[in-house]
Order: sequence, then structure tokens, then C-alpha cells
Amino acid sequence: MDLIIGGAYQGKLALAKNKYGLADTDIATCSEASGIRFGAKCIDKLEEFTLWCVRNEKDATEIFRANRGEWKKSILICQDIFCGVVPMGAEERLWREMTGRLCAYLSSEADTVTRVFCGLEQKLK
Amino acid sequence: MNVLISGGCKNGKTAFAQDIAVKLSKNGQRYYVATMLPYDDEDRARIARHIDERAGMGFQTLEQPRDIAGCLTEENKSGAFLIDSVTALLVNEMYPDMRMEGADPAAAERCRAGLLNITKEAGNAVFVSDYIYSDAIRYDAFTENYRASLAMLDRSLASVCDTVIELCAGNVIFHKGGIDL
Repeated sequence: MDLIIGGAYQGKLALAKNKYGLADTDIATCSEASGIRFGAKCIDKLEEFTLWCVRNEKDATEIFRANRGEWKKSILICQDIFCGVVPMGAEERLWREMTGRLCAYLSSEADTVTRVFCGLEQKLK
Repeated sequence: MNVLISGGCKNGKTAFAQDIAVKLSKNGQRYYVATMLPYDDEDRARIARHIDERAGMGFQTLEQPRDIAGCLTEENKSGAFLIDSVTALLVNEMYPDMRMEGADPAAAERCRAGLLNITKEAGNAVFVSDYIYSDAIRYDAFTENYRASLAMLDRSLASVCDTVIELCAGNVIFHKGGIDL
């Protein structure tokens, strides 16, 4: 599994498409309304999945653990929303923490971890 | 050499950018391209602090809050330019009238063209931007539009600059190229 993280609009998906030769049909995009679909070559916007988890009182890391076989060979992309100031709203605080914990777990499981900064690739692992 | 410097606020980007601009200006001509339009006392204090900090470094200040490539002339473009900052330039171009809510939809592309023009025409420039992309807040469309536009400028500059640097609490992370410090 390859994990790609980085800030908003940094070009994470563009880098993944370019690096792994992904077609649009290879990419499953998470949404705050419907959560995640495992099994795709690339799963984008994990931060939308964690927001769905918060709103549905689920634990994102537990869901990933339970479906380990489904994403072990995937490319996972997440926005690093856990870097900024602790937000005022309870939902945003939970969202930020759940995303941070999920990325820490996924980093430990990943073969490679890449951070994208202004469209440039930074190897973390 | 063209250099992009980004990172969080109050990390020492401007001071570091000044040092690089001094190194780049081999003929001694160095220009500090000031982009900020002061709106209140806080802004005026920040500008005064920046002027103090670069006193004695030999910079000539060019005020260029919009039309960024307008700072170039045939006479000066062999010098080194410090563009401080991409962030303020985009604000001035996107929101020409701060009392109005709407953003100029052509502003980001205009900034991109101007900034890339400087990288080509001068070729010895340091661009300072701000990293505002890693927090757990759902911004309104107005703010997201600005964030997406600034990120587009950052990525455009990063792709053509020789060196891309992130400053983190005063520490230097090279994302592309290098520089003798």
C-alpha cells in the first residue's frame, strides 16, 4: 500500500495519477455522505471518509483494520487536515483527531509514504 | 536562479528570502518588491518592521501591489528580485475593492502569467508564499476559492523554480534543488 498525504490543492491526486498511471476508473473518491468504497486501485479523499465516520459514530481506523485485505495493495490519498489549529467545533475536533490517527496507522502499514508540497513529491517512508 | 519559499506564518520566510536574494544579486542590484496594501495599523506596523529588518541590506524597494511583472524594466532586470508575497499579490488582484464580496475571476491567471514572466525575464528571483492548506476547517466558497487559487500559483512556481524550500519553525526543508547558504 502506498499512502499519499498533503495539504489541500497540493496536487496529490495528479501526482498519484502520473506516478502510477491511474485512469479515472481506477479511483474511488470518498464522500462525507456515503463514506468509502474499498477494492479500488486508488482511494482518494480519505478525509471525507473520516468526516463520514464522525457523523455516523464509527471509528475510521477500526474500519480499515477490519478490511485490511481490501486495501493492502491500494494507493490511499488523504489531506493532512491534522496540522492546523485545534478547531472550535466538536465535530471538527473529532474529525481532525480521527484523521490523524488513521494516517498514523496507515503510515505504519504502508510500503511507501509520500507527502506532496506545491505539487512536488517528498518521500517520508 | 529562481527560488520559491513557502511555509507557515512567522517562520522566518522573509528574512531567509532576503539572505537568498542578497546571494543571488551578484551585480549588487537587489530589489524588494513589496506587494502589501496596508489596511490597518497592524499592517502598517508589519511593513515598518520589514523595512527595519532589511535596512542596510542594500535593497531598493519597489511598490507593486498589482500587475507584478510591472516591477521589471530593461535597466533593472539583470538584478535580483524578492517578491514578498505571492499571498498579498493574489489578495490585491482578486479583491480590488475590499468592500465588495466578489472576486475577480481572471485574477489568479493574471498573477500566474506575471509571476512566470518574472522567472523568465529576470531569472533571478525569490518568491515568498504562505502554506495555508492543512487544517480541519470547512471554509466557505469565498475562502476556498482563494486557497485553491493561491495553491495553483504555488504549484505553477514550484514547477518552474530551480529551488523550492519549505520553512518550518526556521528550519529549511528542500523540496527541489538546493542553494549554498
